[in-house]
Amino acid sequence: MVNLEDLKKEAKTVLEEGKVKYIIGYEKSANGLMPVPGFIKSPEEVEKLIWTPACVYNLTKFLVDEKRRKSREKKPDERPVGLVVKGCDSRALVVLLQEKFINRDDVFIIGVSCEETGVIDEKKLIKKLKGKKAEKIEFDEKDNFIVTTQEGKVKIAASEVLAERCLECKANSPVIYDVLLGEKAKRSVDNPFQSLEKIESLPERERWKFWKEQLSKCIRCYACRSVCPMCYCDECVADTINFAVTADTTAEEKAQKIKWLEKSPVKSENFVYHLVRAIHLAGRCIDCGECERVCPLDIPIRFLNKKLEKDAKELFDYEAGFDPEQPSLVSSFKDEDPEDFIR
Amino acid sequence: MKRTGVFICHCGINIAGTVDVKKAAKELAKHKGVVHSEEYVYMCSDPGQNLIIDAIKEKKLDNVVIACCSPTLHETTFRNAAKSAGINTFQCEIANIREQCSWVHKDMNKATDKAIKITKSAVERVRRNESLEPISVPVTRRALVIGGGIAGIQSALDLANSGFEVVLVERSPSIGGHMIQLSETFPTLDCSQCILTPKMVEVSKHPKIKLMTYSEVQEVSGYVGNFKVKILKKPTYVDPDKCTLCDECSKVCPVLVSNEFDLGLTGRRAIYIPFPQAIPATYTLDIKGCPGLLPIACGKCADVCEPEAIDYDMKPEIVEEEVGAIIVTTGYDLYDKENMAEYGYGKYADVLDGLQFERLCSASGPTMGKILRPSDHKEPKEVVFIQCVGSRDPELHCAYCSKICCMYTAKHAMLYKHHVHDGQAYIFYIDIRSGGKGYEEFVQRAVEEDGVLYLRGKVSKIFEDKGKIKVWGVDTLSGKDIEIDADMVVLATAMRPSKGAEELAKKLKIAMDKDGFLSEAHPKLRPVESVTSGMFLAGAAQAPKDIPEAVAQASGAAAKAIAILSQDRLYHAPTVAKVNLNLCTGCGMCVEVCPYEALSLKDGKVEVNEVLCEGCGTCSATCLRAAIQVKNLTPLQVHEMISISLGG
Amino acid sequence: MAEEFEPKIVAFLCKWCSSAGSDLAGVSRMEYPPNVVPIQVMCSGSVSPLYVLSAFNKGADGVLVSGCHPGDCHYIKGNFYARRRIALVKRLLDFIGLEPQRFQMSWVSAAEGTKYTQIIKDFVQELKPLGPQTKLRRDL
Ligand code: SF4
Ligand code: SF4
Ligand code: FES
Repeated sequence: MVNLEDLKKEAKTVLEEGKVKYIIGYEKSANGLMPVPGFIKSPEEVEKLIWTPACVYNLTKFLVDEKRRKSREKKPDERPVGLVVKGCDSRALVVLLQEKFINRDDVFIIGVSCEETGVIDEKKLIKKLKGKKAEKIEFDEKDNFIVTTQEGKVKIAASEVLAERCLECKANSPVIYDVLLGEKAKRSVDNPFQSLEKIESLPERERWKFWKEQLSKCIRCYACRSVCPMCYCDECVADTINFAVTADTTAEEKAQKIKWLEKSPVKSENFVYHLVRAIHLAGRCIDCGECERVCPLDIPIRFLNKKLEKDAKELFDYEAGFDPEQPSLVSSFKDEDPEDFIR
Repeated sequence: MKRTGVFICHCGINIAGTVDVKKAAKELAKHKGVVHSEEYVYMCSDPGQNLIIDAIKEKKLDNVVIACCSPTLHETTFRNAAKSAGINTFQCEIANIREQCSWVHKDMNKATDKAIKITKSAVERVRRNESLEPISVPVTRRALVIGGGIAGIQSALDLANSGFEVVLVERSPSIGGHMIQLSETFPTLDCSQCILTPKMVEVSKHPKIKLMTYSEVQEVSGYVGNFKVKILKKPTYVDPDKCTLCDECSKVCPVLVSNEFDLGLTGRRAIYIPFPQAIPATYTLDIKGCPGLLPIACGKCADVCEPEAIDYDMKPEIVEEEVGAIIVTTGYDLYDKENMAEYGYGKYADVLDGLQFERLCSASGPTMGKILRPSDHKEPKEVVFIQCVGSRDPELHCAYCSKICCMYTAKHAMLYKHHVHDGQAYIFYIDIRSGGKGYEEFVQRAVEEDGVLYLRGKVSKIFEDKGKIKVWGVDTLSGKDIEIDADMVVLATAMRPSKGAEELAKKLKIAMDKDGFLSEAHPKLRPVESVTSGMFLAGAAQAPKDIPEAVAQASGAAAKAIAILSQDRLYHAPTVAKVNLNLCTGCGMCVEVCPYEALSLKDGKVEVNEVLCEGCGTCSATCLRAAIQVKNLTPLQVHEMISISLGG
Repeated sequence: MAEEFEPKIVAFLCKWCSSAGSDLAGVSRMEYPPNVVPIQVMCSGSVSPLYVLSAFNKGADGVLVSGCHPGDCHYIKGNFYARRRIALVKRLLDFIGLEPQRFQMSWVSAAEGTKYTQIIKDFVQELKPLGPQTKLRRDL
């Protein structure tokens, strides 16, 4: 089990040694169960750090902001940022490295292993507690969590409240790190695509019905995009809102703007938006589940990405986020890539 | 708003027969930005072109669309017309309403409708075209030929005789290749050396040819018209200008190694001349055989060399050359002995390969042209020739046909009979492939005049028994088992790409086929060009072939190279990739996909080498951020074309 | 009688093989239904997934991407990248419940006028029973 004290110790050491400019980790929030991202700037502040099964956020997204901030600074602090990452988050780092968005020495990776559990799905927990309000959740030995409510402590089997993606996780322990806390132990996963296959196996009509219903709900708040560590483009091709216009943008470049889809949150445009997003995440999405978590309408966006993850594996034996040196899924090919769908 | 003109061609009735051109012109006239729209019977005719030119001038058109036949036919015609009227060539686009519309449909309404969409789509495109001028680069008017066999010699001479400087690089000490080892050539039986040596001498004397033997290409960079080449000149330790070919050094050299020119049938000294007519005419000290120069272990050769031509301190040298075109003629090797153990090749002295047999027949060969068995120097009375050894055997060896073996085996059998009148030649074969001028007649002559016995079938076993080589096989025509007590067996082993060709191909970035031969750009239409522009292929490096084919291809390659070198500047289509630096995040995915290595990352952004870019657009489809696009067929243009094609 | 449904197809044809193959169909005076509007692109490798989605969004009933056979791409390997990219797009569209017949890829060489003709004929035939594509068509 990850010992919080070890985590604090490691954090303290690097801060004291001045190895990092600050550390981004998880901090207790005022309103109980769910933590908030915390920016730890001094050795004293490390006491704020926590590590619980509610540490769901993928903090790598902050590197995107960090990179932008740094590029605006005249004399930036060149030291790395310390970052607390879980297994899934570490794979996001690998993709960012692969895409040269960050350099390895931009980040000091404090890896925490989920060992044989993972993080919770808040909604599942609420349901499980049937109205009781959770104040605290802790890792217990092996595959249980201990939840503290007003009425005392309860032991819950992790599998009952784990996030869906944790149940299908391929990397419970970070694949890349500078220090690693916890064991490299891995919960066995029979089939990382089991939830997806339920939808895949529906007949075409039913699949369409399912997605039509789900995607019609989208209000295009773009929370999914904002939270995704891979959605770091300055300008998203899928919408016409955030054009990156800088001092060097030429009139001609402005004239080249394309409205691939409309802003209005109607079914057809929502589909195009989500399909473009999924395609652009092919071979890049590492299933940290953040997009789905933040969606205010509970759209199961994860399945779109999962589908492509599965196809990449099945068709091209490609898995994202394990090797920063490998060429990307769509910028490589094999002579024997399948072509049975081609006439 | 840009002013667009539309010109719809009737093409006689070819278009007008199915497309209502009047209606189309009327519809187009209504399209946004179109200020002129007309139809005419033959747009490509002079009056037709004049209509376009006049309209551009009179109506001050910014751009034009010609709806006519496929752009492969008249795009250039109309673009030139546009240019003559004072607008940029890229302000003219073609709408293909003949091949892709009027010729394939019958229903006039529907065809007209489709033609209108195609034409509107071209209008939307042309309105967003940039005016571009061809990218021009100066040309280094010299060529590099790699490989000094017959193909390389021919290419070099053709180039040099057309007035271009040539650097001819050969890795062995002399040019001549395999052809110089041959005794006589089919189907005319003229002496190979006699026809090749004059060409070799011409190479050595040619003021335009810089001959670099004992040298290897190390590195190639640049692009068509402007290649930079690094060539390693290995030390020969003999100054060719001083060497008088007196042969004293070789007489005193204590080292004896196998002589590659005679394919191991004889030996040579560590300091040697490959063969008497070698070009350059000089000795070479083969460091691999020599007991040592650092410190000098023997030194006998330098002691006896009167003109003091031997210099043990000679160092390898890197020579840099700039050339505009490269011809690769790296030739072939025979299939390795190790692979053919089943035929006793390499095990029994009297089982030879085709080239060894050539040396035995050669007047300058180890036996002075007498055909004698290597084992006991007796005249062989029964000789078995076996074809397709290693060729046409996809399971175990090479799947392809080595092409020349049928002919040279017939020649071998014939030559044998001319030397040994009372001997018997047998040939095991699968098929006889004798396509070529005079080839079939040649094979018939072998059978009819020289009594060569052709046996259709495969050899099952070869072994030595009491001084004979027993050959067991089956005649598949008669179904009979055959057993021959042969004195000698000659194998027509498969032709392989020469050793080192693969490494060189990687340096040159030219592709190889599955067998390791260099790939031509198109199997039918561009047989002497490699996929890399400015690099050409000739001879057996590209595929097995005989001398006349190699020579023809070599001249073809030279002509292709001349087409480049004869220009002061090369022009390159300007429709190349362009980066929007604001959007590029430097992920490098486009760099990975570019087939021409035209892209590179610099300071976290991608950079296009416009000369290398061919404008395929693969980068643009790969980029997640639309940060890289190909000029004049940008995503925006395609977007508008899609829109219009679906009814706007 | 109600007019028969005529599907609208956008075909992205690479300039060197498929568009040339389509030209050959014309030169040989083959006949195929006029439902398809060709858009010539330099290479199948340049067809972005956005093009495909956009075509459906703008009301295409079917989309075809066609390039040179593997190994024959004018740009050496553009079609290999296309093959991968299109496979992913196709599977994704299939997953969300778009009829798989609506999105096709083909290899058509410059010599395959007959093949091109057949592909278009089959495509139109397969699309007819499906009726108009409304799933991704802009519904504003
Ligand atoms: S793929 Fe796009 S973002 Fe990546 S390096 Fe190329 S142009 Fe830049
Ligand atoms: S257009 Fe093609 S050749 Fe040019 S840079 Fe892009 S991938 Fe390379
Ligand atoms: S040019 Fe036809 S697929 Fe690349």
